[in-house]
Order: sequence, then structure tokens, then C-alpha cells
Amino acid sequence: MSFSIEPLKASVAGLALLGVAACSQPAPVIEGEPGVVNARRITESQYRNTIDDIFGEGIEIRGRFEPDMRDEGLLAIGSAQLSITPSGFEQYYSMASAVASGALNEERRETTVSCTPSDEKAADAECARATLSKYGELLYRRPLTEAELDALVAVTANVADAQSDFYAGLQEGLTTLLVSPDFLFRIETAEAIPGKDGAVRLDGYAKASRLSHFFWDSSPDAELLAIAANGEIHNSRTLEAQIERLTSSDKSERGARAFFRDMLQFDKFATLNKDPQIFPKFSLAVADSAQEQTLRTLVSHLVEKEGDYRDIFTTRDTFLDRTLAAVYKVPYLGDGDWVEYTAPEDANRDGVLTHVSFLSAFSHPGRSSPTLRGVAVNEVYLCEPTPLPPANVDFSIVNDTENVELRTVRDRLMAHSLDESCSSCHDLSDPVGLTLEHYDSIGQFRMEENGAIIDVAAEINGKPVEGASGLAQSLKEDDKVPACLVQNLYAYGIGRAAEPTEADFLEAQTNKFARNGYKYPDLLKQLAGTPEFFGFDPIEAGATQSASNKSNTTGGHQ
Amino acid sequence: MTGKFSRRSILRGVVGGAAVGVALPNLDMFLDGNGLAYADTGAKMPVRFGTYFWGLGLTPGRWVPETVGAGWEITPELGSLGGGLEKKVSVFSGFRVHLDGRPNLQHWTGQGAVMSGLAPSKIGTFNAGTFDLDVSRAIGGGTRFRSVNLTPFGNPKLSYSSATGTGFNTPETTPLSLYEKLFGEGFQDPNSPDWSPDPSLMVRQSVLSAVTEQRKALLAEASAADRVKLDQYFTSIREMENQLDVQMQRPAPAEACFVPGGPPETRPSGRIDRVNEANSQMAELMAMALACNQTKVFNVVHTSATSEAYLEGDSKIYHLHTHDEPVDPELGYQKVSSQLAELAFRGYGEFLRALDRIPEGDGTLLDNTLVLGYSDTGYAKIHSTDNIPMFLGGHAGGAHKGNMHVVGNGDPVSRLSLTAQQLVGVPVGSFGVGGMETSKAITEVMA
Repeated sequence: MSFSIEPLKASVAGLALLGVAACSQPAPVIEGEPGVVNARRITESQYRNTIDDIFGEGIEIRGRFEPDMRDEGLLAIGSAQLSITPSGFEQYYSMASAVASGALNEERRETTVSCTPSDEKAADAECARATLSKYGELLYRRPLTEAELDALVAVTANVADAQSDFYAGLQEGLTTLLVSPDFLFRIETAEAIPGKDGAVRLDGYAKASRLSHFFWDSSPDAELLAIAANGEIHNSRTLEAQIERLTSSDKSERGARAFFRDMLQFDKFATLNKDPQIFPKFSLAVADSAQEQTLRTLVSHLVEKEGDYRDIFTTRDTFLDRTLAAVYKVPYLGDGDWVEYTAPEDANRDGVLTHVSFLSAFSHPGRSSPTLRGVAVNEVYLCEPTPLPPANVDFSIVNDTENVELRTVRDRLMAHSLDESCSSCHDLSDPVGLTLEHYDSIGQFRMEENGAIIDVAAEINGKPVEGASGLAQSLKEDDKVPACLVQNLYAYGIGRAAEPTEADFLEAQTNKFARNGYKYPDLLKQLAGTPEFFGFDPIEAGATQSASNKSNTTGGHQ
Repeated sequence: MTGKFSRRSILRGVVGGAAVGVALPNLDMFLDGNGLAYADTGAKMPVRFGTYFWGLGLTPGRWVPETVGAGWEITPELGSLGGGLEKKVSVFSGFRVHLDGRPNLQHWTGQGAVMSGLAPSKIGTFNAGTFDLDVSRAIGGGTRFRSVNLTPFGNPKLSYSSATGTGFNTPETTPLSLYEKLFGEGFQDPNSPDWSPDPSLMVRQSVLSAVTEQRKALLAEASAADRVKLDQYFTSIREMENQLDVQMQRPAPAEACFVPGGPPETRPSGRIDRVNEANSQMAELMAMALACNQTKVFNVVHTSATSEAYLEGDSKIYHLHTHDEPVDPELGYQKVSSQLAELAFRGYGEFLRALDRIPEGDGTLLDNTLVLGYSDTGYAKIHSTDNIPMFLGGHAGGAHKGNMHVVGNGDPVSRLSLTAQQLVGVPVGSFGVGGMETSKAITEVMA
């Protein structure tokens, strides 16, 4: 392996000593070969945002995107390891055809195509080339090579001639771009650093793409591509100015939504089951509104008001629509859409953990689960995953709702935690979840379970905590909470979990986050300004040639 | 950075392993143009293959027949295989997963071992690709789809079919989506008197060929892990190209093919009777897709391994029942869990019956098909990976005897995976890795 870890370590340690991660720090030296160092499949929201940004909003994209995979707490890490399956490709193909057709329909045609074909009933290589060159660069996040353009223009010409329709040809050219690996994967390329033997860095386009996906959940715009083309993106001042621009853009709301949808595991809602006999109020509409409520709350508090991240656990300021008002059992004063709402102090709705989104996602279909909720708080907000339970466990006591001695979930959990092999993990999750037992499986408030008053007192980290508000306060004061956000956001940006060697770097970033008042937009900016944000796993010298021969034997098809 | 590198090294290792284990790309050369008959005899019907998974196994003492060998008797939880269907089904008990030092990953190890030939290291991925794809490479040529994946449970993550072990082939999740895939746009009725190639297919071919032109350049300069991903992507394109090639030819008539009507749009439900309803509808569609030569290979996941299926009006899901329900002292088993096990397993029986209703040649479609039924555990209450219930349904064109009960005595489950492959004609001599590696097919069930 030719990648030298030492310089990175030294550099990270240096940053930690200074307690800053300034843009002016020299980039860590990464040794390796130029080439493709990352191919991350784009997500559904990145696909949709990119199409909106490039062709304008309103093109309907119907179809099934490939399912994501969660790893190390984030879809951004798991899905970076995934490819596209045959049935997934069929879906991407039909979506591509629909997008290309939508972009070139009668209404949009003039906006999409800036040149006029000499004859609408025949091929026009020049106009096709100009159009495909423009959209190719936006979709591939880099300019197309001449050979690529030649191939696209040939497709366009064949179809245009066969069907006597210039736009029919162009549509297939666009479709080709949209099903290409260069669009469906974010392909990052490393380039040799001029004048430094054996050293490589992400090329300008890869850097531009990391930035735009991190801040906007979309592909780079023309301005980012321009500074990638002229190399200015490698200049720290230019980079800093771009980071400011990305942060202040309206599109940054989309970025925040995408990150929190991932971190809060909202993908669970796609398959969330509630038993309609027990919870007739729960529906697809409730599930959709629940996510939207939390995302609106986070965007408002963190992005628009630039509030303290730790206050998300306590803020009573939120948003409601008619659907959710019914679940929260509060009067709805709006006209059908979302309205701002501040829960009364005694409403037992303090912060995001008392939102329907969290409470319903981490419950069973017919009942609440302190364990699921406790595990989720630890994983999502504290970055402390729970080990798998031992294989041979008798849960009979925990879940026997007909046991007259053990009427509440707490009684049943306490009984089972006497078993040492269980209690080592349950002692970490259950007290946290038990403080939220005033909320049923879909998040409705309750005081009793099976006729017994629910006790929501618990001891967390050696301190007594009472109910949801007590839990909120304890999380707000927990140093692991902001550290976990930093860790997640960094991993989300670079597409892999932080390595143990990066602990000092993360600590320095967390300290800076604290000094800045735990402001989320500042955290984005400071992370994107570090050389580590553009780090990658380099290709060993000589690896590409030998491995490319081997690749011919995988997959079974040539 | 060590973690990252070791992951890559593992992937590289898997690639190496897969390259060894992968069957020859296809046996298309032995088939006639439409894959309907072997070129040398011109008469034999094609053999089809499917896998069928249901979650949470069956109940000890409630499913294993007493009779060993031919003529096994129906047991309480195998009731859905009665009425004569049992003559076409073999039962396999006493087979288990050899963990080779890896942990028993609850509700994941079992299916990983059966499908990929070794116990996985990590939940969410297998350590190698799955053998159904070897089968589809061997026998899946000449049809529109190399394989079709489906789940009546509605969750698009429910699939245990994977080319590399990372990333699973996306299933159809409702009867309607399955219908649209099989009989919607692109379907050509093999019995239609009028046929002419659809000109849009040629357009599509030119698009795909423009994309694949990039393949060499992209793969040549990519790192190992990225190359695996990109190669999978290009394999997916190749599959679509194969589809187009098939569609450009006039389909051979298929006697039993009858284009079904489209099912209504439904929202997936976890209620076990609703799951089984969707299962039956999807079984009918799949049977017709096989009869109409749309595919020869399919994978079904009835319910997830941590099954959230529930009985109407019950606040507890199946998975919770298996862990919390005490063993009834009089009955000697978990009553509700056993009821749910019987209901879940009914899906497999219904699937086989749907195939058995389609006449083909002198028998039925099921006679030319082999469906491996399997689950994740031998006893869900304690997550046991011993005695995982497994079945072979259908005669595989006469290769599988049926009606046999074989006791594995602790042999690895991979023996059945190997047997299934050999029965449908995959040229493979061994399967599995480490303690799961075997070259011993279960010859007792071979005709």
C-alpha cells in the first residue's frame, strides 16, 4: 500500500493542537495513482433535485428507486457501497425516458434547447452537440470528452433520421446521459498534484460535487463547474467564498432536509406498519406529515434561525397540519396547510423526541417499545450503537401483556433485566425509552397502560430523570450529542465512517462547533473548509492495471 | 484508514472467490433460439427454478415427518402441502448452519448460509454472491428476464438475491407492480398471430450501446471496490440488452400462456391473511410468466426474517410471539406461534399449487420447475440455526423424485443449495466455503 498514513496523522494532530481547522492548513499528502477513487450511487433526492435544478421544476419522475442500505448509522455510508441491479436499471431507464421526454415536450422545448435545428424533421449535429454538451456537463458533473460527445451525437442522428424528428433524436441523447454511470454514480477522480511526485488529490470536479451534494443535495451548478475547470477551486480563498455562497443559497434547506432524513432514519416510514385495528388514526398521511413536521422544525430552528443545535430537544416551537393536529389532539387553526405552532408548556411536547415521527418510527405496530426508543436515542443522537442481543433469550416475561402482576411495560422490562446477559445492554437503552412511555405506538399522549399509572422516572448516567422533558434536558447537556452530529455530518459528506485515526480531527471540529454556539450552518462551513473533507482512499500504485484484468471475470457478462 | 482498506481487500477476495464459483456465462449455445427446447432433441421443456423464503421457520415437533425416505406423511404445519401436492415435494430436516467462528446473526445467518454458502459476517450483507444467479446464468437465457424477484410483504428491501453479497436484487412489492413488469410495456404475447419488432427496441439498443462504450475506460481506471460496483451496473445493462435481443425475435408459441388481466392497486399489509392473498395473486402471475417464457428463474420472500406479520386484531407481531409466548405445558409448543408458522408456510404451498395448475406437456408447469423453500431458523424462540426447515417442490423436468424426507444429521444447509443447482442442470461440483463447503449432493432425491 503506498498511501502514507503518517502525514495525515501529523496534520490532524497539528490541527487539534491549534484547536482550529483553518482553510489555510496545508492539505494532507495522499500518495497513490490518479483514477476513479469513489463511485457513489446517487440517492432518490439527489436525482430529483438535480433534475429540478437542470431542467426546471415540474417534470414528473415516477418510478421506484433502488432501496438504500444503512451502515454505521447512515444511508450515505451504506449506499456508497451499492450498485444498480438489473430490475433497478429498468426503473432508471424508464425514469430517464420520462425526464428526457418531459424536458423536450412542446412547452419546455424552447427553454431546454437554446439552438434551433435547421430542419425539425432531420438530424442536426451541431445543435444536438451544443445541447448535449451543455446538459452532459451538468449531469456528469464534468465536461464530456469529444469521444463521448461523438457517440451521443451519433445516437441522436440515427434516431432523428429514422423517425424524421430532430427532437426524438435529442430525447434519446438525453436518455443516454441519464442512464449513464457518470450520472447515476457520483464518480470521483483523483489527479496528480502538479510538481509533487506521487501525490494525488481529488480533481476540481470531484471537489465541486462533494460540496454541492453536501450543501444542496444536488449536482454542482455552472459556477462551481467553472471554478473546477480553471482550477480555482484548489485555491483556499476561492473555496471559502464558494462555501459562503452555498450556505446562503435557498438550496441549503434541501441539504439540511436530506441530511436529517438520513440521520433520523426516516426511511423507516416507507415500510412502517401500524395495526389499523388498534390505531385507526394512523395512515400514510400521518406518516408523511410526521416527517414533514420534524423537518420543518429542524430547518426553521437550525437553518433559518441559526439556533443552538442542542435546543432541538427542548424547543416547543414547531409546525402542524390538520392531519397531525388530530393525533396531537390540539385544535387546528390553519386553512388546511402547515401553520407555526408553539406547544403550551404543560402539553408534554418538548423537542423532537416528542414528535410523532420519532415516537411512531421506533415502536412496534401495536405497542410502544422503550427498548426500541432507547436504542434509537443512543444510536441516532449519541452515536452509540447497541450490540445484538444474545441469541438464546427468553422474552416471555417482557411481552406477556396478560400477566396481572406485570401490567406496564416497565414492570415487564424490570423483571427481565434481572438476567445479566440482557441487562448489560438493556440498562443503557431501557431507562432512556421508559421516560417516553407517556406516548403510545403512534405518539399519542397517555397516562395509563392497562389501567395502571405509567411511571416515567429513570436513572440515566447516574442521574434521576423524569419523563420526556427530563430526557430532553439530559440530552441537551450531554457532550456526546454535538460530537455525534459532527461525526455524522462528516461521514455523510465524505461517504464513509470516520476512521479511528480521525478522532482528534473530530474532537477539534466539535470544539469549534461549541465555540460557534452549536450553529448548524457554521458546522457545515467549517467541515467543508477542511482538507479532510476532500480526503479519499487512494489507488495503490500499479493496482489499476492488474485489477482491471481481473474485473473481466466478475459479473458473468461481458 | 485500515478499516477501509480491509473492506476493499475483502471485496477483492470475494471477487476472486466469485470468479472461481461462477458457472460458465450461459448454456445458451445448447438451447434453440428461443430457449424453449434443447437444440439436440428439440422436444424437452425448459426447466425453471425458484427460491422461496418465509421468516421465522417452523415449530419443532410440528413439522418434521416421522417417515424417513419415500412417502412422508403430512404433519400439522405442513398441511398446505397435502392433497397430493406432497408427491412433488421433498422435505429436508436436520440440516444446519456451520458458523465457522462467525456469530449467529439473528434472522440473517440462516438465509445467508443457504443462499451464499457461508454464514455472513455482518447483518445487511452476505460474504459472497448468491447461487440463484449462477442458476440464472446457466438456464435463464432466451427469456426476457434472467430472473424476477418479488415479495408479497411490500418491503423493497426484502430480497436475498445478490451478485456480490452487497446490494440485493430489488423485488416487486405488489401484484400490480409485478404485473406491470411481466405483462406491461414490452410484453409480447407469444400466441399473438400478428408480430413485428417494435422499432423503439432498436432505439433502446443504440442508447445502451452508447453507454457500454464507456465501460472499458471507466473500469480500467477505477479502484477495486468501485470496479465491483461499476461492473455490476454494466451487468445490469447487459441484462437489458439480452431482453432486447429476445424481444427482437418472434416469440415461439406457448401453449399454456394466457395473458392475465391486471390486478387492482393495493397497499401492502402486514396482516397475515392479506400477505397470503397478495402471495396467491403474485403466484398466479409468476406461474403465467413462466408459462409465457418471460423468465425461468425467480426468488420470493414471503415475509421478513423478523416477520412483522400479524393476525387480524392482534397487537403483537409474529416475531414478538415467537420470543414472548411461553411453551404451552399441555400442548408442548407455542400455540399462537405455531398457528402463524402454519399460515406463513402456507404461502409456499400456495405458490407450488399455482404452478401445478398450469398444464404443460404431459404434466404441469410444476413438473418442469424446482422451488427451494427455506427459512432463517430452526426454532425462532431461540434463534437456532440448527434444523432449518427446507423443501424442494416440483420435479425439475423429471430430475427430482419428490415425496422424499431426508434427514441431514447436522450436515450443512449448503448441501441442499448444491443439490438444487445440480437438479436444474447447473454444471457445479461443489458449493459453499469453509465448514459449509460441500461436494456431496443429496442424491437420495435425484431421479
